[in-house]
Order: sequence, then structure tokens, then C-alpha cells
Amino acid sequence: MTVDSSFKAMDGQAPLLQVAGLTKRYGGVVAVNDLGFSLGKGQILGVIGPNGAGKSTLISMLGGALQPTEGNIFFNGRNITATSAASRARLGIGRTYQIPRPFLDMTVEENLLVPLYARSPFANRKIVRLECRALLEKTNLVDVADWRARDLPLLRRKRLEVARALALKPQLLMLDEVGGGLVDREIDELIELVRQVAPETDGIIIIEHVLRVVRECCSTTMVMNFGEKFAYGPTEDVLASDDVAAIYLGSAHKKQGRAEGANAAAQAGAEPVPDAALSQASHGLDSIVAPPRTPSGEAAPELLRLEDVCAGYGQARVLHGLSFGVKAGQAVAILGCNGAGKSTLSQVIAGTIKPTSGSLRFDGADITSMAPHRIADLGIAQCLEGRRIFPTLSVEENLLLAARRVAPKEQKERLDAVYRLFPILAERRGQAGTSMSGGQQQMLAIGRALMSRPRLVVFDEISLGLAPVIVDRLYTALDVLRKAGLTILLVEQDVERSLDLVDTAHIVSHGNIVLSGSAVEVRNHPGLKDLYVGAGHEEPRESVCV
Amino acid sequence: MQTQIKPAAHADAAACRTIAYSVVLLAVVGFPIVVPGALSSYGFEVGFRLLLLMTLAEAWNLLAGYGGLVSLGTASFFGAGGYMLMGLMNFAGLPVLPALLASAVAGAALAALVSPAVFRLKGLYFTVGTLALAEAIRLFMINTSYFGGATGWFAVVDPPSVQVLYLWAWVLFVFATIVLSLYVSSRLSIALKAVRDDEAAADQVGVRVFRVKLLAFMTASALMAMAGGLQAVKLGAIEPYGMFGISWSVDVLSVVIIGGIGLRAGPLVGTVFIVALSEWLADYPDVHLAITGLILIVVIRCAPQGLTGLAISLWRRRNGRRTQTGRADAAGAQSALERG
Repeated sequence: MTVDSSFKAMDGQAPLLQVAGLTKRYGGVVAVNDLGFSLGKGQILGVIGPNGAGKSTLISMLGGALQPTEGNIFFNGRNITATSAASRARLGIGRTYQIPRPFLDMTVEENLLVPLYARSPFANRKIVRLECRALLEKTNLVDVADWRARDLPLLRRKRLEVARALALKPQLLMLDEVGGGLVDREIDELIELVRQVAPETDGIIIIEHVLRVVRECCSTTMVMNFGEKFAYGPTEDVLASDDVAAIYLGSAHKKQGRAEGANAAAQAGAEPVPDAALSQASHGLDSIVAPPRTPSGEAAPELLRLEDVCAGYGQARVLHGLSFGVKAGQAVAILGCNGAGKSTLSQVIAGTIKPTSGSLRFDGADITSMAPHRIADLGIAQCLEGRRIFPTLSVEENLLLAARRVAPKEQKERLDAVYRLFPILAERRGQAGTSMSGGQQQMLAIGRALMSRPRLVVFDEISLGLAPVIVDRLYTALDVLRKAGLTILLVEQDVERSLDLVDTAHIVSHGNIVLSGSAVEVRNHPGLKDLYVGAGHEEPRESVCV
Repeated sequence: MQTQIKPAAHADAAACRTIAYSVVLLAVVGFPIVVPGALSSYGFEVGFRLLLLMTLAEAWNLLAGYGGLVSLGTASFFGAGGYMLMGLMNFAGLPVLPALLASAVAGAALAALVSPAVFRLKGLYFTVGTLALAEAIRLFMINTSYFGGATGWFAVVDPPSVQVLYLWAWVLFVFATIVLSLYVSSRLSIALKAVRDDEAAADQVGVRVFRVKLLAFMTASALMAMAGGLQAVKLGAIEPYGMFGISWSVDVLSVVIIGGIGLRAGPLVGTVFIVALSEWLADYPDVHLAITGLILIVVIRCAPQGLTGLAISLWRRRNGRRTQTGRADAAGAQSALERG
């Protein structure tokens, strides 16, 4: 109520958005607790925080998809707490979804016509078409205008998501992790797009794990933790804060180049804790890591061999003759940007996509045309992109599913080993798999892949959409597994972290391996930046990455 | 330059196709009216059924194919239309045409009345809810003496000849085709399809979901009620078991699913197939039912887009190679252009 009166006093000077005492409870769980902040006209606010901190819940409440349990939301000084989502959209609040939700069976153009017509139902058709065209050009979607949204790859879906929100001509634009899964070059484009649309809006809220976006776009940053405002202030100060480092940034803090901050973070206990826990976990991993069958003294034999593998979908060729091998006990990374063919490659290894030519051998056996479940039986486990947790099964059931034909005693041992590796899973064992935060789900996905006591695990994009501190945790676990003798094939976009872990790396571009070598060689290769990181602005947009 | 005109041209082409399709269809079906002796009275009899079912299927296709509202409540609106028409003709002495318009209003009003309840249900629950609605209305009509109870009503005027009925059914079908063609090619269908694909996301981009669904529901129900009214005229006597019978709801569903859900020609193909089958097996009702069920299962399993969808994909596969290469070339040219 006090907020209400203070608003009348400010009259006309009201900020674009004012949130007071915002709370969302699900039963006993508090997702957002007594949150208050305001967004001035022309401001760009970054919201960061660990997975499960309540960031997406906040966006949903601002957008109207969720009703807050308590608290008020004011937009241009008007209380919109009880206003429907559709009306808020018409008032000028546009949002994107963390996982893109385009209208799948409509064309890209039709997807944009939905908000355009919703905003002005009686607008002249030709003018609307022109607006639509302009949006398609701005978001680089012209060439797929008459594709069904279902046929778009993830990156394009994300762009469509942004385009659709922009079609509302929003005063307030809310971007929910649009940077997740993009490589540097694409993030450059995203930052450029945000800067381009900023003058057309009155304010932007960006939820992001990609810190560069926050650093370069947002003047102010809010950190959320356990549903509460943990820190709020100018972006530089917030990102330099030791407390924020401890709960969220983890090792990403170090890369900022502020040495004293990093030391403080280490003292604050950001990193040693998981390490200590994990060093204990590394004992007794035998039950989930099959030892490489190497006669001692000999060079490790090749466990997996791809020879000249070509694959694709219908008319589209994605892989053009890939050849590489993974030796027993080795960790190998496949790096590349979106659309390079990495995910297709992991599907080919899993057997869910059959190569059109070339061959795959695993431990001497030809697996080129083997059914996926037989390949899994041979000892190749998949930690799939997007986690793919079974939502109706509990955490423990998800794990046990991967060890079905194993004696109960052995099952117990494997479960214990996974729980030692990720103790949080033991705490949550009875909970539904997808009810956990993103980071915990990823731990579950990794645990599930290990439950079959595999000889080789393919980890596909495990860092996608996770807070830096969680990614640290996952990579520490992978390191423990590697040291325990697990053969690892890592499919990743995060070059730095991958190269820290693996022995050998292959860079894939356009379905070809363009650079191979040891982690050190690849890291120091002068071509790496041009090939992958994409600082080269002289190249036309998209030619490499899409 | 070229890409700038493309989408508009694309939409115009789609509109042209719809118009051409409608004209050909109307001409073929309307032909027996103009040419005397083109059909026997048996032919007109079958033709009437065909047109009625086609109207119902078109209306149902708008709901299910474009709006994602798979309804098993067709009988509610069909029956309501029949009773409205018969009541007005018997007790108010209204001629058929105004009474038919009144049944349309009755159908739309019933839809508006039940919408707050049935729209609370999503997906399969909506389907079950509409089924329950139809059954509830049927039981209500049987047990209420005010509407003639289980015996129903008899028409006080004699039904017109089968030729006249065919003409009216044709007019109704033309009307339904025009209404639905306009609906489907307009911006109304954009919002409707968005609601079908993702209700929450549609809400979030400003689509008023309830209104969009209600408009489609009322439009379809009005057409269904008019079809029911026409059936009442033909029968001359109506009772709840027939007018509110579940078979109307199920027949329409099988017609559209076998024909091809969400496709413009789906209802037509499905109706022709179902009516032909039922005429062919008219002497063996049990076999007919079993075979229809079997076909439904096979179609759902093997051709989810129905017979029309199957035909289109076979056609594309036959002529496909050339067009596909053409498309790939275009795509290649496009990316080459982008690369500079």
C-alpha cells in the first residue's frame, strides 16, 4: 500500500516497471520471496543467479503467465498484478521462453503474424506484411520465412522467439537465456541485436548465464539466490563482488582478470568444497567405471574408431567424412559451433542415425548398422543433449533404468557410487526427475549414463544453460571420472573448459574435422580463433555457424 | 528484391487454390440440381446425406484441425438445431428458412453457454467433456416432457421432396464452404492456429485465447445446428435418441480423420469415402461398423494425415525429385548469395 501512495507522489515520473513484495509459493516451496526492484525508462537490467534461483518464475510473473502469491507489479505506474497475460502483451510487455516455444505447425512468417495481428487486429494486411518482413530481416530469418517452425534448428528457434517478442513492439522486453548454447560469434550477434533494439524499447530485462551479454549490455544487474534479491547494483560492481562469486560465478570469476577477487572467492570457499567432496567420491568408482582392458605395458588400443563417416537428414548432408579414434582411457573433445554437426555425430555413435557411408568400430566390432540398444549393450553410454530425464520417474528410478539387468547388490553399489559423486541426488532420490533444478538434472543425466558401467561415455553439451559454478562442479566430476579410467568423448561448445579436461581435441566445422591435436596444441593453434571463436568480422554473418 | 514479394505471393497463391478448389467442388455437387434427371431419387437421398455430413465435417475440421479442439459433442449442436427448427415450425408456424437461421443462432448460443465449462478442459479432457455434454443433453431431452420426451416431435407440415432437400443441403454446404474458406484464409485462423500449437505462448504474445476459441466454437456450432435443422426437416419427426445420438459425433470424427485432419480437402474426401462404404455395405450393418473401425485404426496408425495427406505425399514422391532438387538449388543459391 505504501508503494501505491509513493507512486501517486511521483506521478508521471513513474519508472517503467516497479515490483514490490513479489512472492510466489508452490505449496511449501518458495520460488520467489519478497522481491522488490524497479526498472527505469531506458534501463537494461541483467538478472543472474544459480539455476533454481527463481529467475524464470520472475519472468513468468511479470509476463502474466503465473499469478504471484503476494506482492504487486506496476507497469508505467499502473498496477497490472491482476491483468491477464494477453492484456499485458498488448500493453507492451514481450518475453521469450528459455526453451523456445514457437508455434510449431505454423510457418516462421505466420509465427510473427500472430503477435502483429494480436496487437492491431484490423491493421492493413500489406503494412503488416512489411513489418513482418522487416522483423525477419532484423533477426536474420528471411531465408526460412516459409519453413514450418518445427523444422527449425534450435538456434533459429531462439531467433524466432526474439522476433516474436519484438513483433509486439514491446516497451518492456524480457529475454530469458537467449544466449544459452551460442558460441562467441553468435553472442556477438546477440549483443549487437540487443543494442539495436534497445532504443525501440523503454527497458529490457535480460536473464542470462552468458556473462558477456550481461557485462556488455546491462547497466544494472540483480543477482537472485533462493528466490531472493542477493545483490543489486551497477553491473561492474556486482560481477566483481566476492559474495556473488561464491554463490554463482565460480571459476568464471577468475577469467575476469581481477586476481584479488579470485583469491577472495577461493578463500570464501567457492571451490575447495566440491573438490574435497569429490576426492572422497573417487574411491570406489570401480562399480560404475569399467576399467580399460589394457594389457599392462602396451600402448592403449583404440576403443572407438570412426572411418570416413558421412551422415545427414534426408537431403541435408551434415557430416562429410569424419575420421577419428578414441583410445581406451582417453578423454577426447569434439568442439565446434552450432550446426557444425556435433550432435549429429553423437547420434551416429549412439546408432540413432545411421551413416550413409563410412564405418564405426567399437572395441574391434563393427557397429555401423547395429541397433542403438545393442550398441548400448556393448558399453557406449550417452549423456544426451538436453538431459532427457524421464519426468514421471523419480531420481532413483531414472538411475536404475540404466541398470535393469543387473543383480540387486550390484545395482546398490552403482547407486552408491553415483550418490557419492553427486550427493545431492541421494537427498532428492524420491523426487520426480524433472522437478529438480537444471544443474541437478544434468547431474542425474550424467549419473544415469554411468549406471550401465559403460566403457565409453559420450557427454553431449553438458554445460548448456547452467550457472558457471554448476559447470565447474560438473567438470570436476568429469575429471574424477577420467582419472578413474573412464573413456570420455566430450561434445562441447565451451572450448576453455573442454581443453582443460581432455587429452585430444578435434574442431569440427561444416561436418569436417578442421583441426586436431592434443589439448595444448589446439589451445595454442593460431587458427583456433578464426576457426571457432569467430572474432573475424570480415567474414559474412552466419557463413560458419549456421 | 525477389524475396520481398515472395510471402505475399505465397499467400495469394494459397487463396487462389482455395477459391479454385471451392468453385470446382460446388460446381460438381451442384450439377444434379441444374440438370434434371441426372440423379435418381436414391441418388438424391445419398447426395443429401453426403452434403449434410460434409457440412458437419467442414465445421468439425475448423475446430479440430485449425483450433486443436477435438470435440465429441457434435450431436449436442446438431440436435439443438433440429429441435429449434421443429419447435419454431410447429408452434410458431415459421417457414423453413427463418427457422433454419434461428437454429444457427441456437447452436451458437448453446456453444457460448457451455464454453466457460468446456474450455476449462484441455486436450483429451476437452474431448471427454464435450462427449459428456452431448450425453447429458440427450438424457435431459428424454426425461423432460416439455420437449416431447422420448417420443419427440412430429412435424405438422409434410417434408418437401428429396430434390428440394438436396437443393437446400447444397445451399447450406455452399454457405459453410464460403464461411470456412474465409475463416481459414483470414487472420482469424492465424490466431486460432497459434492457440492450437501453444496456448500459453499465444497468450504471452497478446492473443485473447478464450475469445479466439469461442469464435471458432460458435461458428462451427452454428453450422452444425443448421445441418441438424435440415435433418429434422427431412425426417419429419425427431426424437432425442436420433438427434442427440452419439453416432453423429463419432461419424464426423471418423470422416475427418480418415479424410485428413486440418487439410482443406480432408472432410470432402472422408465423407465420400465413408458414405460410399456405408452404401456399399448397407445390407451388413455389423460388418460395416467393424470395417469402418478397422479403417480408422489403420489410417491413424499409417497415415496420420488421412487419405488426402497420403495422396499428397505419394504425389510429391512421384514428382518430387525434380521439385526437391529445385528447392535445394534455391537454398544453395540463397546461401551462396549470403556468403557474397
